[in-house]
Amino acid sequence: MKSYFLLQHKMAARRLDELGIPPVVGYVLGAGSFILVSEYLFYRTEFAKYVVILAALSLLAKTSETNRTEFLKTVFDRNKFRNIRIAENGLICLPFCVLLLYHRALPEAILLLTGGVFLSGFTLKSNRSHALPTPFYHRPFEFPVGFRNTVYLLPLPYVLTAIGLSVDNLNLGMFAMLLVFLIALTYYAKPENQYFVWTYSTTPAGFIFEKLKTATLYAALLAAPIVVSLILFYPQHTGIILLLGLAGLAFLWTMVLAKYAAYPNELNLPEGILMAFCIYFPPFLLVLIPFFYSKSIKKLHAFLK
Amino acid sequence: MIRVKELNKQFGDNHVLKNINLDFANGHVYGIVGENGAGKTTLFRCIAGLEDYQGTVSAECSPLKNHLGLLLPEPFFFARITGKEYIRLLCHGRGINVRDVERRNIFDLPLDQYASTYSTGMKKKLALTAILLQENKYYILDEPFNGVDIQSNIILTEIINKLRALNKIVIVSSHIFSTLSDTCDEIHLLRKGEQIKTVQQQDFKSLEAEMKANTIGIKIDQLDLK
Repeated sequence: MKSYFLLQHKMAARRLDELGIPPVVGYVLGAGSFILVSEYLFYRTEFAKYVVILAALSLLAKTSETNRTEFLKTVFDRNKFRNIRIAENGLICLPFCVLLLYHRALPEAILLLTGGVFLSGFTLKSNRSHALPTPFYHRPFEFPVGFRNTVYLLPLPYVLTAIGLSVDNLNLGMFAMLLVFLIALTYYAKPENQYFVWTYSTTPAGFIFEKLKTATLYAALLAAPIVVSLILFYPQHTGIILLLGLAGLAFLWTMVLAKYAAYPNELNLPEGILMAFCIYFPPFLLVLIPFFYSKSIKKLHAFLK
Repeated sequence: MIRVKELNKQFGDNHVLKNINLDFANGHVYGIVGENGAGKTTLFRCIAGLEDYQGTVSAECSPLKNHLGLLLPEPFFFARITGKEYIRLLCHGRGINVRDVERRNIFDLPLDQYASTYSTGMKKKLALTAILLQENKYYILDEPFNGVDIQSNIILTEIINKLRALNKIVIVSSHIFSTLSDTCDEIHLLRKGEQIKTVQQQDFKSLEAEMKANTIGIKIDQLDLK
């Protein structure tokens, strides 16, 4: 069991190395980001503990995937397999439980830990014969794939909006709207295989335009129910609601451009730092978007001649 | 017409393609043969523009890559994309609004299932269907017969013949000589990155015999099988 976790550690360190981040720095940054994001979450909404539980559950779901668990079953005997699964689910739950305890949510922490251990005995079997239908059929691939990857997380913003409207909390509704864009950002986190860029018969600028158009159209589609209901309930705040929606789109455009600015490599530390800075100082987007745009055009020239 | 002129490719000190000169005419099917590591896939990637190289690759439809259907030996698929979405993605890349996908699904693939759950042969058939629906002028099929069932191989042979009749250029590589002799007008032999010889249809049999003799030699005897 020890060798299994040492191997996991090695794999994580190699992955950070590939991203150009020294492993120690990566761990510190990861822990720091976790604390900062969660503190922001608890500062913004009273429902943060549920977001934390959901985030932990989505990570736990990844460890329960069929291929992964079937592979572990072929490698380890029954007892070792069970111990490994309990240990890794426990390790995943640990930081979330500490966070919940810190915010005096003891029942939720116990529930999460118990749920994590309980889930370690299950394998998430995907329905192989039927694909989950999505409203994004016409323009594969980011949104159909992303939608299916985050299907457990997607109801959250809509539920939060409903709660926000029922308790007359506009801030919660606006937070939910930003959450939709945050989820959409993850659809552009990884570079696709070069073949899927090469196959486009267009110029780099045309390619980027297509990608931005799709991102805008589909993200707007996802956010529309929230935006419309917020405007209906708070017509006097239409301006700020639309402005925030536009900011969400601007972050999404930045993410799309950042992805191709680093292409064919994965998004790296410099892009991450620049984007993080925009969260604290959004006007910087006006500089960052043209910068990433010109960088991505240069990178795409290698594939789209 | 596609013209490859004095093409050289190096990975560091490793000279993987050495001064390749090839002409591919419309309405013809060309085979590229060679042992593993001979440089076939690298040559295809250079023609497609997926690799940098020295020399020139020119075509009457320019840029060539926008008119090229490229079937890779191991096509890549996203984890949660259906067969139909894959086809739509590739056609969208070429600005084609594909219609009648169900009718044109001649390999009877389960297009509403995730492509990642397909078998090796099904994945290859899906990738092939997608590039055919892209309506390309040129085709590079790298190991199209590998992992595909006999029935589909028969269909594939007929597809290649149809593409020839439609005046397209088809370049095929295969480790199964009979699949090339059934489809090609001309075969180019590569060895260690060098263009060894070009053989016309009437000489395919002697090429096969020569390759057999060169490849097998006394190797089987060296095994000392008892």
